[in-house]
Amino acid sequence: MADVRRIDLLDPAEVARLGGIEIVAQGVVEGFLAGIHRSPFRGFSVEFTEHRAYQPGDEPRYLDWRILARSDRLFVKQFEEETNLRAMILVDASRSMAWHGAPTRLTKRAYADRLAAALALILLRQRDATGLITFDEAVRQVIPARVKTGQWLRLVRGLLDTPDGRGTAAQTALLHLTGLLARRGLVVLVSDLLFDRALALTALRYLRHRGHNVIVVHLMDPAEAELSGPPEVRFRDPESPASVVVRPRELARAYAETVAREVAAWRAACRRHGIAYHHVLTDLPFGMALRLLA
Amino acid sequence: MTFLHPWALVGLTAAAIPALLHLLERRVPPDAEFPPIRYLTEAERQSARRLKLRHLLLLILRTALIALLVIAAARPLVQSRGGGAGAGGAHEPTALVLILDNSPSAGAVVDGRPVLARLKRVARASIAGATAADRVWLMLADGVARAGSREALLATVDSAEPAWRRLDLTAAVARAVRLVNAEPLPWREVQVVSDLQRTAFGEGRASVPRGVGVLALAPLGQASLNRGVAAARVTDGVLGVTLSGTSGAGPAPLTVRLRGRTVGRMLAAPGASVPIPLPSVAPGWWVGDVALDPDELRSDDRRAFVWRVAPPAGVRAEPAAGPFIAAALAVLQQGKRVVEGADVAVGERLQSEAGKTVLLPPGDPALVGQANRALATRGARWRFGAAGTPGPVATASLAGVSGIPVARRYRLEDIGDGERGSGVGGVVIASVNGEPWLVADGDVLLLGSRLDTAWTALPASPAFVPFVDALVNRLARGEAPVAESEGPPGVAFQIRGADTVGATVSGPDPRESDLTPAAAELVRGTIGAELLDEARFAAERFAGTRRADVSGLLLALALLVAAVELGVATLTP
Repeated sequence: MADVRRIDLLDPAEVARLGGIEIVAQGVVEGFLAGIHRSPFRGFSVEFTEHRAYQPGDEPRYLDWRILARSDRLFVKQFEEETNLRAMILVDASRSMAWHGAPTRLTKRAYADRLAAALALILLRQRDATGLITFDEAVRQVIPARVKTGQWLRLVRGLLDTPDGRGTAAQTALLHLTGLLARRGLVVLVSDLLFDRALALTALRYLRHRGHNVIVVHLMDPAEAELSGPPEVRFRDPESPASVVVRPRELARAYAETVAREVAAWRAACRRHGIAYHHVLTDLPFGMALRLLA
Repeated sequence: MTFLHPWALVGLTAAAIPALLHLLERRVPPDAEFPPIRYLTEAERQSARRLKLRHLLLLILRTALIALLVIAAARPLVQSRGGGAGAGGAHEPTALVLILDNSPSAGAVVDGRPVLARLKRVARASIAGATAADRVWLMLADGVARAGSREALLATVDSAEPAWRRLDLTAAVARAVRLVNAEPLPWREVQVVSDLQRTAFGEGRASVPRGVGVLALAPLGQASLNRGVAAARVTDGVLGVTLSGTSGAGPAPLTVRLRGRTVGRMLAAPGASVPIPLPSVAPGWWVGDVALDPDELRSDDRRAFVWRVAPPAGVRAEPAAGPFIAAALAVLQQGKRVVEGADVAVGERLQSEAGKTVLLPPGDPALVGQANRALATRGARWRFGAAGTPGPVATASLAGVSGIPVARRYRLEDIGDGERGSGVGGVVIASVNGEPWLVADGDVLLLGSRLDTAWTALPASPAFVPFVDALVNRLARGEAPVAESEGPPGVAFQIRGADTVGATVSGPDPRESDLTPAAAELVRGTIGAELLDEARFAAERFAGTRRADVSGLLLALALLVAAVELGVATLTP
């Protein structure tokens, strides 16, 4: 049973009211790590360097069974790149992200900022170089991946300093940041994916082709998953002049089917290209979202 | 198809409202920001065909719902084989005269219930079955056709009580037929709600044209054996009582009261006339009544009468009047019916202008001319003519005189308009062979024969003394008129100054006492109607253009459409 005092498992909107991104992210991470008792992310290098004594929490698979057989002592193997993972978090700051379906919920952008900050904190705590790119129709902030002290605060500052954008042209930003990611590493894209899937997948596939491990976090407000509203309403696209008059009740089922189809299409496309895909609603507790990424 | 409330069809324009709303898009929907509009567009593109069909279906259903409700409100009528208004259906606009017979006979009690209560119930149902498009009149026993709203007519029916007037159904139906036939409505009907007494059908036959239906409510069972006092009149101190009633009713005791005192009892059967001598009383107006024991019809069990007792006339007879007159007057004088005086003179010559004269024809034919000249001098309109043929006397106002032979007489000739004078029963009081024999002409009573056995057998008959009594006391002096009228039993006096100059005796029409119902043939023959029991009457009323009201069916259909609309609107996304 979940510990109800852990803020990583509380409603994101309630958690957000506790303070700024830093406080929230730290609280979430503390709770999250206390819950799993181990480092959620591990290195990708396989080049062995040295042994060290086993400590509780270490993965049993890294135990050196030979030493154990010979000396009856527990040692684990350490690898060359274990602390040199380069992670880059891409946060979509487009206009559509600054939307929430209800005042009691966080906007997608607010949710994405807090989730990104928490993720960065976890990565930096295990001494993985972590960077940040924010973008809308263009790249707005680029904070290179570092592991030095104060990097997390820089990342948080980068998130805070990125205003809500207007449009979204993710493929442009993604293509641009491929040039910034010279070394292989982890790329986490946090976005509502309200852009052309084929073009975006081209960029992501390119990253994957360059050897990056790519994780796509598809953020969606619950109101975007299930259509509701007054009997008749004119919906406007915040990123374009487009609008449409609909009767939510009579279109709800078709809309839900369309969303489900879109999510399934993203998931299938990502899987086909070796990209991890996670569909996250903004009312999902941060701890649960982090667990998806672990 | 016709409509009871065609003006309601104006509401059909409301059926265009859903289409207009759909076309004009009058509602301005609220604006809202919604980022995944691409999903919406895609969902709408995929659902467009289904949504169009759904919208079209809803539009049709809503339009149909409004149209059905409006048409139902207009109360459509279609040809139907089912029952008429009485069976819950409707009918085309009808001109209706409802004859509710509340004549005295309707007050009879049959099986413990007043006949009128049954008639009122049937009449009420008929009026209640009328619609706003009908033209309805209600005719009661007074023969007046009352128009008015349905509520007003119902109130009139409810307040109807047995009246004192007889209703001649033949005449009433004839008037009713003329009334409805003048109405330009699709159907015309006369409903006769009556106890259908045989005696209620008068002379002749009501002409019923095509397009007018006459319905008659059949009476209930056998007639009650009713008896009633048909007439009670006093003549020369004798009360003549005539009973009427249903055929087969046996004799019944009757009681005569004079100023509240019982003065006679008698057993009599309907159809019989019985004389009841009244006691000698002081001169003046006397009021009495004749009463029968109570029976099913109470209103005819009592009848009032009035009797004027005049003081004895002062009579002087000429010697030429003959010995029989002298003897008769002597008898009357002995009985204090006459006294010596100059009020009335009996003889061959006219008395002075102030007095009354019973003028006998002269024994000598040569004096006839002189007598006629005297009559002309007095301004009389009658005179002695040539000798007439022998024959019996015929009179209605002199008891015992009719049939007595007259061997010799003079014709009495009217030389004026013949209407002058004021005798009882008209100017001519008695006749022989259809020719006047005893005539009242002002102050003069002319007799066609001398009161002698050589002229007539009257002096030798027992009726002679009463005849002379009537001549001098009643006919010569004249009587205060006593009229009769329909109404509740009673007497009303006409007063002039301090004198009572006449009286009116009221009572129900004697024909009301005969409760024998009319045969179906009589009803069919006189008013052209078939006798219908209550159930058939209810089914046949307004039946000429029987229509079924399908508004209920339309409402049910509207309910079904509403349910389908609700289902389509809520259950289908």
